[in-house]
Amino acid sequence: MATQTTYQSTPEEAAYEQRAAESALWIGSRFLIGIGAFVYASLAFAYFYLRSANNLDFWRPNHVTAPTALGAAIFALTAATFACIAYGQYRFRRGEAADLAVAGWTAVLLGALAIGLQIYELTRLPFYPGSSGYASCFVGWGAINIAGLVLSVYWIETLLARGHRVKHEVAGDGGLVRSGLPVARLFRANLEGATYVMGFMTLASLFFWVFFYLV
Amino acid sequence: MASTIDTPIAGRHVSTRPAGGLGLNRYQNVFTAFVVAAGGYLLGHYIGNVIGSGYVSVQGGGQNDVAIVLALTFGALGWLLGIGALNYPLAKLVGASPEYPPTEGGWMRYFRFSLDHKVVGMQYVIATLLFLFTGGLLAMAIRTELLNPTIHVLGPGTYIAVVGEHGTIMMMMASSLVIGPLGNWLVPLMIGSRRMAFPRVEAFSLWLFTAGYMVILTALPMGGFPTGWTGYAPLQTQAGGGMDSYLVGFAIIGTGMVLAGFNLAATIVTCRAPGMTWGRLPIFVWSVLATAALLVFATPTLICAGLFGILDRTAQTAFYVNEHGGSSFLWENLFWFFGHPEVYIMALPGFGMVGEMLPVFTGKQLFGYKVGAAGMIGVALLSFFVWQHHLFQSGINPDMRPLFMLTTELISIPTGFIFLVGLGTLWKARMRMEPPMLFCLALYFNFLIGGITGVFLSDVPVNVTVHGSFFVLAHFHYTIMGGLVFAFFGGLYYWLPKMTGKTLNRKLSLAHFWVMFIFFNLTFFPLLIVGLLGQPRRVFEYAQRLQPLNDFASVSAYILGASFLIFIANFVWSIWIDPKPAPTNPWGSRGLEWQVPTPVPAYNFEHIPVIVSDPYLYGVPDAPPVADFGGASSPAYAAALAGDTAGDGAARSE
Repeated sequence: MATQTTYQSTPEEAAYEQRAAESALWIGSRFLIGIGAFVYASLAFAYFYLRSANNLDFWRPNHVTAPTALGAAIFALTAATFACIAYGQYRFRRGEAADLAVAGWTAVLLGALAIGLQIYELTRLPFYPGSSGYASCFVGWGAINIAGLVLSVYWIETLLARGHRVKHEVAGDGGLVRSGLPVARLFRANLEGATYVMGFMTLASLFFWVFFYLV
Repeated sequence: MASTIDTPIAGRHVSTRPAGGLGLNRYQNVFTAFVVAAGGYLLGHYIGNVIGSGYVSVQGGGQNDVAIVLALTFGALGWLLGIGALNYPLAKLVGASPEYPPTEGGWMRYFRFSLDHKVVGMQYVIATLLFLFTGGLLAMAIRTELLNPTIHVLGPGTYIAVVGEHGTIMMMMASSLVIGPLGNWLVPLMIGSRRMAFPRVEAFSLWLFTAGYMVILTALPMGGFPTGWTGYAPLQTQAGGGMDSYLVGFAIIGTGMVLAGFNLAATIVTCRAPGMTWGRLPIFVWSVLATAALLVFATPTLICAGLFGILDRTAQTAFYVNEHGGSSFLWENLFWFFGHPEVYIMALPGFGMVGEMLPVFTGKQLFGYKVGAAGMIGVALLSFFVWQHHLFQSGINPDMRPLFMLTTELISIPTGFIFLVGLGTLWKARMRMEPPMLFCLALYFNFLIGGITGVFLSDVPVNVTVHGSFFVLAHFHYTIMGGLVFAFFGGLYYWLPKMTGKTLNRKLSLAHFWVMFIFFNLTFFPLLIVGLLGQPRRVFEYAQRLQPLNDFASVSAYILGASFLIFIANFVWSIWIDPKPAPTNPWGSRGLEWQVPTPVPAYNFEHIPVIVSDPYLYGVPDAPPVADFGGASSPAYAAALAGDTAGDGAARSE
C-alpha cells in the first residue's frame, strides 16, 4: 500500500497551523510549569506534613543537615544554568545568535554538573535515608531534582543541537533570529519556553535549598 | 488556489532537510517492543541484583525490591524503545529533523508507533478494552469466591490479591477509558484541526499506558499486593514484590495520564479552527478540557506518592514509616489528593459524551449549554478540595470533618448542573431509541443511584457507619461503571461507524444494552443492601445470612460479564465477518466530526473548516451549516483564516 506522507495546505492554512504550533509551544511550556509546580508541591506537602507531625520526635533528630557546601554548589549551578540560558536568549533577541550558542552550551555544561553533583551528594549523605522524616524528604528531593534537571537540560541541549543543524537552512532568510521560516519560528518559541521552564526550576531549587539547608 | 504547501501528516512543515532518524520506525512494532522489553527487564534485574545484593535489608528479607523495581522500569523503557517511541527523542540529541512513521499500511499500523491521532485512538480502544476485560475476568473470580461464605475457591491471600489487581486495573483503565480512545480520536475532528498539538506526546502516552498494564499484571505472579487499589501504608511498605508492580505501574500510568492531558489541553486551547469560539466548543470537548486539567494538575501528586513509596521500599527511606519520622497518613493524603479528582477524571468525559449524543437523538438543542460547561469547570475546580473526606475515619482532625463534608456536598451542585442539562434536553423530547441513546439514558438512571448514595456518604455520620462496606463498593460501581462505562459503550456505538466505516449490528447492540443494563443493576443494587447489612469489603468470608443476596449478585455478575461477549461478537461480526459500510452521517448529527468523509482522511480536513454556527441547532428551522468547508473557493474562507493575524492561532480566533 502506498504511504501517504504529506497533505497540501494553502499558504493561509499553513500560516494558521504554524501560529497554532507556536502557540502550542507557548502554552505547553506553561503547562509544564504547572505540572512541575504540583510535583514540587507534593514534596513540599510531605516536608511540612512530616515536620508538623514529628512522629516520635523523628522529624530531624539532632538537626542533621545534608552537606551544605554541596547543596550550595548544586543550587548555584542550577541558578547559573538559568542565568546562562536567559542571557543567551536576551542576546539572541538582539540578534546575536552566536552568543546564544556559547551561553546555551555553557548552560548545558553547568546543568550537567549540577546533576552530577546532586547524584554525588546522594552518595555522601551523613544520615541513613530512613533515619528521619527530614532524611526521607531530602532523598526524595534529590531524586526529583535530578529528574527535573535532566529534563530541563535535555530540552536546552536538543534545542541548541537543532539550532546548529538548521542554521544553514535559514541563513539566507535572516538566520534563526529573524527568519520567518517555520523552523526558525519554532526554534524561537522553543527557546522562550525552555528559558521559562529553567527559571521555574531555579525558583523551586531556591525554595528547597532554603528549607533543606538553611532552616 | 494559487499554490499549495506540502505538510507532513501529523507533523509540522519545519525543515527542508531530510529526516535525521535511522528510519527504524518501519521495522518496529509490538513484537520488537516485546523483545526489547524482555531484554530490558532482564538487564534491570541484573543491575538491581548487583546493586542490592549487598544491602542488609535484601539479605535479611530475601526480597530484592531494587531488582524488581529496576527490572520493571527497564522493561517499560525497553517497551518504549522497541516500539519506536524513543527514536526521535534520542535523535534530537544530535539535532535530527523529525521522522514521521508511516501513516498507512493496513492493519499493521495499529501495532506500531503512530502519530495519526485516529490510529492512536483506535489503539487506545483496543488497549482499554483489554484492560476492561482483564479486570472483568478478575471480577468474575471475586464473585465466584463470594458464592459461599465458608467454602473457598481462592483463599484469603489470593482473594485479596485478585481484589487489588481488579481494582487497580479497573481504575487505571477507567481513567483513560474515554480520554484515551475517544478523546484522542475525536477532539481534533471536533475542533476542526488536522492534528494534535503534540502528536508524539499523545502516542507516547498510549505506549506508557500499555507498559503500565503489563507492569501491573506482573504483580500476580509475585503474589499480588494486599492493599487493594488504594495501596495504603504501612501495609504498602511491608508487602511482597507485587507491591513494587503496583507502585511502578501506577507511576507509569500516571505519567501517561499527565502527558495525555497535557496534549489534549494544549490541542483544545491552540488548535481550534477559525470561528470555533469557546461558546461553540462541543460539550464533549469542554468535558475533555476539564478532565485534561485534572490529569495535568492532580496526577503529578500520584506520581510523587508512588515515587516516595518506591524509595521506601528500595532506598529504605521512611516517608510512610511512622517509627522513623514518616507517616502512613502522608500516603493517604497524597493518594486521595489525586484519587478524588480521579473520580471526576472518570465521570466528566462520560457526561460530555452523553451531552453530545442527547441532542442528536432528541432532535433538540442542548439545554443549558453554558451551564453544562460551567458545571464541568466547577466540578474540576472543587474536586481539589474534597480529598480529606476519604480520611474521615483516619488521619484527620475531627474538627476538620465539617469543612470537608461541606466541600464534598458543594460539589454536588455543579454535578447537578450537568445532570440537569441532560434532563432539560430530554424534557418533552421525541427520542429515537437507538443503542447509543439507550446507553445515555442508562447513565442517568445509574448515576442517579450512584450520586444519591454519594451524598449520603459525604455526610460524616453515614460515612462512619458504612465505611469500608459493600455499600461504598456498590456506590462507586454505580458511578464509575454505571456512569462512565455505560457512556463509553454508548459512545462506541455512536462513533464506531465513523471510526471504522462499518455499521454495527443493531439487534446485537440492543441485546448488549439490555443484558448489561438489567444485570448491572441486579448485580450492584443487592450489594448496596449487603453493605448496609454489614458486609465488609476485601474480606473473603461473610455472615451466612448474606449468602442469598451474594449468590444473586454473583449470578447476575456472570450474566453481566457475558453481556460484554455480546459486544465482542457484535464487533467481530460487524467489522470483519459481515461488514456493512456505514453512511457518512448515520445519526444525522451536526457535529463537525460527522461532516468529513468515512473513512476519515489521514489529514482530517481537506481544508481547515471555518466554523460559522453553533453545534446544537437541532430542530431549528433553516439552521445554517455548522462550518464552511469551501476552501479557497469560498469568499469568506481565506479572509477568515487570514484574519487570525494575532500570532497565536485559534486562541485569538474569537
